[in-house]
Amino acid sequence: MISISKLLCDLDAEGDGLRYDAADGSSKPQITEEKQRRPVVVWNATRRCNLYCSHCYAGADLEAAPGEFSTSEAKTFLEQLAEFGAPVVLFSGGEPLVRDDLIELVGYAAELGLRPVLSSNGTLLTREKAEALDEAGLQYAGISVDGLPDRNDEFRGEDGAFEAAVRGIEHCLDVGLKTGLRYTITEANAPDLEGVVDLLVEKGLDRFCFYHLDYGGRGAEIVDADLSPREKRAAIERVADLTLEYHDRGEEIETLLVGNYADAAFLVEYAREEFGEAKARAVYDYLERNGGDPTGERIADVDYAGNVHPTQFWQGYSLGNVRDRPFGEIWDDESNPLLSALREREDRLTGKCADCRYKSICRGASRLRALATTGDLFAPDPQCYLRDEETRGEHPGSAAGAAD
Amino acid sequence: MVEKARRERIEAGERGNPTPQWEVFLREEPGDPLRHVGSIAAGSESEAHEHASRLFGWYAVDVWLCPADAVGRYSTRGLGEAERSDDDGDGTDADDGDSGDGEDDGDGEPRVYKETAGVSEVNSL
Repeated sequence: MISISKLLCDLDAEGDGLRYDAADGSSKPQITEEKQRRPVVVWNATRRCNLYCSHCYAGADLEAAPGEFSTSEAKTFLEQLAEFGAPVVLFSGGEPLVRDDLIELVGYAAELGLRPVLSSNGTLLTREKAEALDEAGLQYAGISVDGLPDRNDEFRGEDGAFEAAVRGIEHCLDVGLKTGLRYTITEANAPDLEGVVDLLVEKGLDRFCFYHLDYGGRGAEIVDADLSPREKRAAIERVADLTLEYHDRGEEIETLLVGNYADAAFLVEYAREEFGEAKARAVYDYLERNGGDPTGERIADVDYAGNVHPTQFWQGYSLGNVRDRPFGEIWDDESNPLLSALREREDRLTGKCADCRYKSICRGASRLRALATTGDLFAPDPQCYLRDEETRGEHPGSAAGAAD
Repeated sequence: MVEKARRERIEAGERGNPTPQWEVFLREEPGDPLRHVGSIAAGSESEAHEHASRLFGWYAVDVWLCPADAVGRYSTRGLGEAERSDDDGDGTDADDGDSGDGEDDGDGEPRVYKETAGVSEVNSL
């Protein structure tokens, strides 16, 4: 998770001690002097969903899936997370609001000192639900809107889903819940990007999360629908431009990029272009502290049946199951060669990643996309859109001095 | 039973929904013990082997695969109900009120557990 608005528009307001990624529900994205040590945990609280989105990484379904945690099991699981020191639990799905006990569990997470945040399609968020979630201690609601009405509804498999999501957003805002919009870009909805940003400004949303498509779940079936790397670069550049434009106009929109750490390198290049070398170095230094792609380290996922995954998108492989042993024990078990390899992937990356000067702020971006497209866990991410001349040479951080 | 073992049986029946899960065991070097390294989703054994080889092929000399639902798992540290009798059935939702629309389907918490997770052995301890 990379905050464009923080890096480009708010750099002087230094991070004040909290984690960067973990600040998903905080009022401002914050950057710490140290890498976050415990993972933000995405919990797919259910596999059920009232929609059927074409890109769903969780393969969510309309039917109930046996094996979901009971309320009691869910509470024990949340206790495991709290004991381990996870900073944030992201209630996701499926659609978490189909769980009747969601509010109770959000409240319990808050009580345990976990920061509860929500990822939802928004269509079930009545004002009453929003109010109850807010009162239970929910810190943030991220609502998925993947385009303007026609494209969003096609994507989400249901007419009226867009309007329902917007109503959900409005209910959240009405009750004072910090609310953001999540938009996963594909070839099909790319033309709606600016319209979606306009929508969030119009509605007064706090945050725009731009998601790259990862190649897990049903997303894997639509690899061909992903943008080309060149198109992706253009989209990110547009998001950066829009962020600057809106901030120039006094709109305090927080803009976050998720799912492709080539974006980190791009932002250094962008900062150099727009603001000069000193800013580029500062951006680099912040991103280096941020730590690059968080898979298997600063982000974890636990699915509806208790399987632990290195990220929420990597549903095809599980490190273990929290019904067998506690989350922290699974997460700390580096006798698992895949987990330990992921944590030292900078030394294992091949191809252009091996010598890339942005390796330490990108860390090879998505290992899942590399695996899905090449079969090689340490091959370059096919969605790296950096130009060769950008990846060569010394890294542009402060220690290396000005390269230009 | 619980007095003797203090382990709970972990039900694996629906863990592979929608794709079957395979437990993966690796031997790093000849003579080493097999080590459990998690599970993968795959439609068939050959697909599972291919998948495991992509993830671990660079590492292991032997790979064993076992359908997850064929593995009997017993743990002393599961999420079982026995550990949480404090809040079972205490009507916690009453505080929140709002969950009423979902709570009127008659599913008391323990029964939801049995029906959805299918882990009645754990529950009945």
